[in-house]
Amino acid sequence: MSLTKKQMVTLYTNLVRADKFGKMMYSRMMQGKLIGFYHPADGAIAPGVGACSFLNNDDILFPHHRGHGITHMLSKGIDVSPYIAEHAGKATGCCRGRAAWHYAFPEHNVYGTTAYIGHNFVPVTGFGWAAKRNGTEQVVMNCFGDGAMGTGRAHEGLLMSSIWDLPIVHLCENNGYAIFAEASEMHPTEDMATVAQGLDIPSVLVDGQDVFAVAEAVNAAVDSARKGQGPTFIEAKTLRFKEHDIGNRDLRGYKPRPQEEYDEMAKRDPVNLATDRILADKILTQNKIDKIHDEADQEVEAAVKFADDSPIESPTEEELLADVYAPR
Amino acid sequence: MREMTFINAIREAIEQEMRADESVFVVGQDVRGGVYPHTLDLIDEFGPDRIVDTPIAETAMHGVAFGSALLGYRPIVDFMFASTALTAFTETSVMSGQQYFLHGSKHPAPLVMTGAWGVGKRTANDHAMPIHGYYMRAPGLKVCSPSTPHDAKGLFTAAIRDNNPVMIPWCTGIMMLKGDVPEESYEIPIDKASIKRTGDDVTVLANSEQLQFALKVADKLEGEIDVEIIDPISFAPIDIETILQSLEKTNRLVVVDEDWESGGFAATVSAQVMEQGFDLLDAPVTRVTLPNMPIPGGYMEDYIRPNPKKIEAAIRAVCA
Amino acid sequence: MAKDYVMPKLAMAMNEGTVTEWLIEEGAQVNKGDIIASIETEKTAYDLESPESGLFHIISPAGETVDCGTLIGKFAEDEAEFATLQQEQPAPTIAPVAEPTLADAAPQAAAPAVATQPAAVVATQPGGRVIASPLARKLASDRNLTLTLISGTGPGGRIVKRDILAAETSGVGRAAPAMSAGGRIEKARIAVKGPRKTIAERMTQSLQSTAQLSSFWESDITNLLAMRKKYVAREDQLGTRVSVNTFIAKAIVYGIRQVPIANACMEGDEIVIFDNINLGFAVSMPGQTEYDTTLLVPVLHNIENLGLVELDIRIKELVERVRDGRFTDDDLSGSTITLSTTAGLAPPGHRSTPVLNLPNAMLIGPSTSVEKPVVVDGQVVPRMLLPVSATFDHRVLDGDPAVRFMSAVHDALENPELLMA
Repeated sequence: MSLTKKQMVTLYTNLVRADKFGKMMYSRMMQGKLIGFYHPADGAIAPGVGACSFLNNDDILFPHHRGHGITHMLSKGIDVSPYIAEHAGKATGCCRGRAAWHYAFPEHNVYGTTAYIGHNFVPVTGFGWAAKRNGTEQVVMNCFGDGAMGTGRAHEGLLMSSIWDLPIVHLCENNGYAIFAEASEMHPTEDMATVAQGLDIPSVLVDGQDVFAVAEAVNAAVDSARKGQGPTFIEAKTLRFKEHDIGNRDLRGYKPRPQEEYDEMAKRDPVNLATDRILADKILTQNKIDKIHDEADQEVEAAVKFADDSPIESPTEEELLADVYAPR
Repeated sequence: MREMTFINAIREAIEQEMRADESVFVVGQDVRGGVYPHTLDLIDEFGPDRIVDTPIAETAMHGVAFGSALLGYRPIVDFMFASTALTAFTETSVMSGQQYFLHGSKHPAPLVMTGAWGVGKRTANDHAMPIHGYYMRAPGLKVCSPSTPHDAKGLFTAAIRDNNPVMIPWCTGIMMLKGDVPEESYEIPIDKASIKRTGDDVTVLANSEQLQFALKVADKLEGEIDVEIIDPISFAPIDIETILQSLEKTNRLVVVDEDWESGGFAATVSAQVMEQGFDLLDAPVTRVTLPNMPIPGGYMEDYIRPNPKKIEAAIRAVCA
Repeated sequence: MAKDYVMPKLAMAMNEGTVTEWLIEEGAQVNKGDIIASIETEKTAYDLESPESGLFHIISPAGETVDCGTLIGKFAEDEAEFATLQQEQPAPTIAPVAEPTLADAAPQAAAPAVATQPAAVVATQPGGRVIASPLARKLASDRNLTLTLISGTGPGGRIVKRDILAAETSGVGRAAPAMSAGGRIEKARIAVKGPRKTIAERMTQSLQSTAQLSSFWESDITNLLAMRKKYVAREDQLGTRVSVNTFIAKAIVYGIRQVPIANACMEGDEIVIFDNINLGFAVSMPGQTEYDTTLLVPVLHNIENLGLVELDIRIKELVERVRDGRFTDDDLSGSTITLSTTAGLAPPGHRSTPVLNLPNAMLIGPSTSVEKPVVVDGQVVPRMLLPVSATFDHRVLDGDPAVRFMSAVHDALENPELLMA
């Protein structure tokens, strides 16, 4: 274990925050206060926290759609309040309320997401190419799920990152499900990593419920990329506690997921696992742990208030048209 | 003033902009070797970091451009044949076009997309088909195409300097067309039409090789019908003001577009002229376009293409 | 103070109307309540009552479709005001072509601009819409020019800019003049083609190739009308409202029974007398313009044994089909005798010399009946008299059988119980 105590605290804190933000988003959706979809990351927050907690600001992040990047972004040190506002369609949103949930924080090197699964590989290739060209040890964190591995674009992006030794960490958060279809049915091998191996990219399998294990694997990959050694494919085996997106049924294939599955998954709640580990290793006292939880609650409350208090823009058609093209 | 071919004028634009701005680079399939002259030997001066060959993967090829554009580079992605851009249609149109506006109009994505097209070489649909009709519908994109060597250098320069995604296909039919091209670096407006010939009786819109055909027809009709020819240059946005101004004088419009009849530039400009210039029209707007069929290869192609005869017939019909 | 007259909105759903005909002349003194125009809406035709009195100035010409509420005319209080109205916007037509006094003199124009009045060589669609480019419409509207006066030289007769400019320089005229020689002003030009040509040829041929002559008599149809009344009272039960024409047809059948040679024709150098009776029935139909008509003579085959009611039904059905255009070649051929009535249209007591419908040798032409004093049993009493004109071909039948036939028809008309014999 190469993580310092400080790093472990950071990871734990981010995990708790991610958990609370996630639960808040779920309940806000149910209250009708979110615009568009929400894809809950309950049970799947450890990979994002582990991947992003130690990135620099000038590292480029393409977050996974699960959890709408909140996990990833807050771990990277981005204030996600403008994102909560954006998701409510407010003028103070990071995209002035025009992105629905496809946000961008260019000043933090987050450039948007996509509804098209697998399309993350497209700009990521460009990010990697530019990062390499810049020569300042920037790294690209490319997060996606098992579903993306079915696309041709995944192949193209992985291939290009390999032939050019691009500084990209490909983080596959494999929760075993697309929407309903199981990964085991939709992929010829159990591990997504075999595709990457076929393209000569070093690959790592890691327990996606263990935030510390993920962080270790990522740190090594990031290090390697910064040194110009090219991409790494990290497959974090994780779990999806809830449905694919709120309001959808939670099926396995085309039948409801059985209660036994939920029960088994509950035993591997990442926050519980992390708390146990923190206590067992005497990293933090219970008191300190409670404090972290409280502060996270306050942070969530503040973000919610900011979003609720913000206005909705009412531009004219001309004003909107004037915003379509960038000026010189 | 020295003479230059159309395709070399494009090359000079790329060359001069790459010299002036480090962030400009070219990416595409086999651009180092240079299938067409516009990237030929550029690698000697700029090296493989800025003249970048990729595998045959249009989506990721575009991704190199798009991703690096967001990080401050000014890429030119060369699809070689314009129609291959369609294999990355989501990337080139939706993803590129929406990036700036949907994210609050804060962070531009400046990139240039190009590729060759042109009916008339008997190569059939895949190598010949026009794409400006498809792309002019993509909100957020600028779409334009030059018709002369002078305009080729000026327009490509403008496109590289523009902070928006620009789709600027070029026409193989005029690849070797010679014309005067200034030596210094210059731009022409990226969103303005250009009057190529003045006249009083009828306004003819024509671009790429069709411009040359229209000029020929106008010369032939000299003394009989006085033809004004406007090169629209920009398909998105359309410079409707210049066209309407011309119609104040001529009251008659023929739109020549080497693109399918359905949707596209000719249909859009006709509708806009009808909406905004209804009372200027002394005759219905007449279009000369490709019929809605896949472009056949071989000799069959000759039957479907707009040509001087069809342009002349349209002019005469509108002046009847 | 001149009063406006606009196209009225006569129904909730009415959006536009067309004046099909102005029933008064430009400058006529109109009294409130007079019928001044016939209009057509999207659904039906109406005759319009004048809402005002005054000297009427026509603005919207016949044939042009306008939205409800559009100005179509104005009422002037006096001559002076009327002259002003004409100056502002000259009327579409001035004096009618029929007036002989205008034949020699140059047309007296109340408004000087109305120098020459063209015939309408204007491209119009059915429904009266003028075809003109958007630019031409705007120029015409700006210059207060009426499009229906202007001839179009664009494709399909479309009025284009040059036509407006030409009209402007030559007064409210057109690019090409259409003033006929001798100072006559054309109201309309109708091509002699199709049915018109056929009629012209047939009529001429009939008059030139036969020895036809006409006879006239009157029949007292008072009793016939009384009998008819009984049939009309049972209209619903019988399924038809029996017409006088049907009685006349039955009288013709009776006449032919008495004098078979009335039901004959000339074929080459033979006279053919027919056994069955196919009755030609003249029907007037609309022509190419509002002025002319077309004549068709459909044929009802084998009427000799048809009862009155059945005959009536069949006649009406045939006429309806013909008016709807749903007739076949059979419907138009094979007549052996023809009935051509002008009753109700012609003046009372009208007689004429109808032209034979070749190859028939006999034609019966009743007209509008008139009440007259008649001597019956030594008393002068009012009776309804039906004037009948009959034309026959003397090559086929001489006066003797001809008038015997007429007498038989007359007998049946005056004594309708014979129709049941």
